[in-house]
Amino acid sequence: MATHHANAVLPDEPEKATLEGKNKILGFWLFLGGETVLFGSLFATFIALRDQVNGGPTGQELFELPLVASATLLLLTSSMTAVMATQALHKKNLKQIQVWLTITVLLGLGFLGLEIYEFTHYVHEGHKISSSAFGSAFYTLVGFHGGHVAFGILWIILLQVSATKKGLTVVTAPKFYLASLYWHFIDVVWVFIFTVVYLMGMIGGKVG
Amino acid sequence: MSAHASHAPKRSGLWDWLTTVDHKKIAILYLIAGGLFFLVGGFEALLIRLQLMYPEASVVGAKTFNELITMHGTTMIFLAVMPVIFALMNAVVPLQIGARDVAFPFVNALSFWLFFFGGVLMNTSWFLGGAPDAGWTSYPTLALNQYSGHGVDFYVLGLQIAGLGTLIGGINFLVTIINMRAPGMTFMRMPMFTWSSFVTSGLILFAFPAITVGLVLLMFDRLFGGNFFNPDAGGNVVIWEHLFWIFGHPEVYILILPAFGVISEVVSTFSKKRLFGYSSMVFATALIGFLAFMVWAHHMFTTGLGAIANTLFGLATMLIAVPTGIKIFNWLLTMWGGQITFPTANLWAVSFIPTFTIGGMTGVMLAIPPANYQYHDSYFVVAHFHYVIVGGLVFGLFAGLYYWWPKMFGKMLNETLGKWNFWTFFIGFHLTFFPQHFLGLMGMPRRVFTYLKDQNLDVGNFISTIGVFGMTIGTILFLVNVAVTAKSSKRAPADPWDGRSLEWSIPSPPPEYNFAQTPLVRGLDAFWIEKMAGNKGMTPAEPLGDIHMPSPSFLPFLMSVGLFIAGYGFLYHNYVVVVIGLIVTFACMIARSVKDDPGYHIHEDEIEDKGVKA
Amino acid sequence: MGAHAEEGVRKPKVKHDGPKRHVVAFIGSLVLTALAFVAVAYDVIPSGFTVPFIIVLAFVQALFQLFVWMHMDQKGHEFARISIFAGLFVILMVVIVFVLWVWI
Repeated sequence: MATHHANAVLPDEPEKATLEGKNKILGFWLFLGGETVLFGSLFATFIALRDQVNGGPTGQELFELPLVASATLLLLTSSMTAVMATQALHKKNLKQIQVWLTITVLLGLGFLGLEIYEFTHYVHEGHKISSSAFGSAFYTLVGFHGGHVAFGILWIILLQVSATKKGLTVVTAPKFYLASLYWHFIDVVWVFIFTVVYLMGMIGGKVG
Repeated sequence: MSAHASHAPKRSGLWDWLTTVDHKKIAILYLIAGGLFFLVGGFEALLIRLQLMYPEASVVGAKTFNELITMHGTTMIFLAVMPVIFALMNAVVPLQIGARDVAFPFVNALSFWLFFFGGVLMNTSWFLGGAPDAGWTSYPTLALNQYSGHGVDFYVLGLQIAGLGTLIGGINFLVTIINMRAPGMTFMRMPMFTWSSFVTSGLILFAFPAITVGLVLLMFDRLFGGNFFNPDAGGNVVIWEHLFWIFGHPEVYILILPAFGVISEVVSTFSKKRLFGYSSMVFATALIGFLAFMVWAHHMFTTGLGAIANTLFGLATMLIAVPTGIKIFNWLLTMWGGQITFPTANLWAVSFIPTFTIGGMTGVMLAIPPANYQYHDSYFVVAHFHYVIVGGLVFGLFAGLYYWWPKMFGKMLNETLGKWNFWTFFIGFHLTFFPQHFLGLMGMPRRVFTYLKDQNLDVGNFISTIGVFGMTIGTILFLVNVAVTAKSSKRAPADPWDGRSLEWSIPSPPPEYNFAQTPLVRGLDAFWIEKMAGNKGMTPAEPLGDIHMPSPSFLPFLMSVGLFIAGYGFLYHNYVVVVIGLIVTFACMIARSVKDDPGYHIHEDEIEDKGVKA
Repeated sequence: MGAHAEEGVRKPKVKHDGPKRHVVAFIGSLVLTALAFVAVAYDVIPSGFTVPFIIVLAFVQALFQLFVWMHMDQKGHEFARISIFAGLFVILMVVIVFVLWVWI
């Protein structure tokens, strides 16, 4: 089975070439609709509780824009490299897929590293999940997102490893496509996190 | 290709049931488990009503009473009726759309086992220090550590696990209905039960994440020192109420829409008439689904949201009565001029109509905010929701069970026992809940473990409890019917009711692969059209050939056990156990992803009814 | 840039060739992100407008990523669009209610 070159036997858009693939893609989009409500509920809770600092540090005092900007840049770029991986999928080039996904994973790890550093720093400053309603809401929302990033990284690595043995087929193609969709989605969520949590936090004051 | 030329793996007995991914078997699993939990919830109800039979009784103490009402509500909604709904959806929807299974059979099995283990975990609380006792709505601050016992942790964890199963089940049915309909079956040619299942699945998808978030936040407050609902640290309990009801209101439509679907099927079949106003029924179902998300704060009129909020939500709530009314009239008009017969299924379905209407009517009364201030937290509310959930949903489920029992089990439920089952339950139901309207209007609060005598509450409570005995007898008669039917050797025909939709065109019970050849659908009431054209069966849409089936798997069971173990870890703050449980679950997920399922083939010559259908 | 996104919404494409649209979306996202950060870090916008401004920027960027990177503008994505928009609709209501009717 040719795994390192464009596979001429594979149909175009291999991820949708089977009913199973189509079902998986639709199912995954529906799941993302549900995730929208999930994250949205966390956002709504955060917005309601963002000023309840219980005497502790506020967002304005804690957040450092350069760190957030760097993390955003890493994640955004990783989403772009995931797009390139899907491009490689449509060119049926497994080697290229692997290269782009590796970069995606590395950028994602960088993002996570910054976030872990950030949280550790905040805890030292007295901002914990148990310090206040703001603390609970912050760590739950941003932490859940971070958890999603971590899960995505593990998932992509798993797919990469298993593809070295199985190659690019109509069975493995949908898996790559879905992982890519997932990765884009968590970047979309991050767009709202940096806007609502960090940027609005720096501005301070009540909303609405 | 050659990898999956193998024949069906021969599995039997318990192992077959633990590893099945066949929607028909999963339906039966849901029915049995849901039925067992229904008995548990029913027993809890019996104890509640025994305690309330007389003023100042001491059948159970106050704390136990709180546990009983909490578990009765939680068990009945999440662990009894919803699984029976999933039983019917699993048994019927793939057949009605001409499919061989659901889109994701493995996930289907996982949905069941997650529900099962979540339900078991929650109910072990009875033996492990006390059941949750903060009501099925579990409002903080009562539900926080300070004011309630360990039991609420069982609620939080059990429901998260069970809820995950429901959520993925919803996605499964959405994809199945969207992608796997037989050729010729456009959306507007789907039977009403399938349409109801479709909209219900959409509601599940968008409602369950909200309660998942709520439960996570409550878990964080109880286990990790979070402050979401702790006013001392800036938390806000209204947030819980919003999140719970943003889920909770769509949830009640998740409960009733499938029942509406059953009624449409049963009433039309036993009136020998097509459903009146099909398009408006579809539209009404979709509109109810849409409006379901816009009315949740009618459960919160008295929390102080203010006049504007109350007005908006009150008006939206009253609006839902319109599409519901359309449905009621359409059922009546379906029956009008039809040749109506009353097998037990139709007794249940026809009695649904006025009973649910009463419940809906009291719902509109409750929707008026100023009136709600009087009804809130009284037995009037209890009467309302039991009329719609029991008199509506449970009646509908019984109708569906009597109707589709032959298709699921190959036998017809006994009609004589059925009629006794119906009448005792029906009379018992009204005796129980009709007086409760007046108890509420006379000022009896809900969730109270006793009441003083000579406040005009004695007679109503007494009659209400007598009614429960009727429902108990009715339920027992149903179980007797099931047992008698199981022992009987009379087999049911493929089409015992002269049905209209595709499920009646295949044997009872269907072979493993459902349809030997995927049928060609030529219009609404697909099977009826063929019958009216003089055909014996459906025209096939594909040639006879090998049928590819998914392999059974033990992983869904194991994955659920993993989360079950992790749940206990959280319950006892033992994070080693949590990690072990999660590792089991994730290892199974990895195994599933890495090891492809080749399935197996049913060869052309093994297909039983070849030759009957051209 | 807005016109580009609209064009994608109005005419569902059957397939896309090459990474060009995606690179444009990437650069667009970078610009929108930078704008948002700059608006907050330096007082270039009158303070009352900053919050609506960055929220609009976030939505535009999200739509870019959904429609271009995730192919939501393409044929065959009808239910994908319904799913995401339904989720957004529910959440819009939730956020409005949480902003207005959580604190008295």
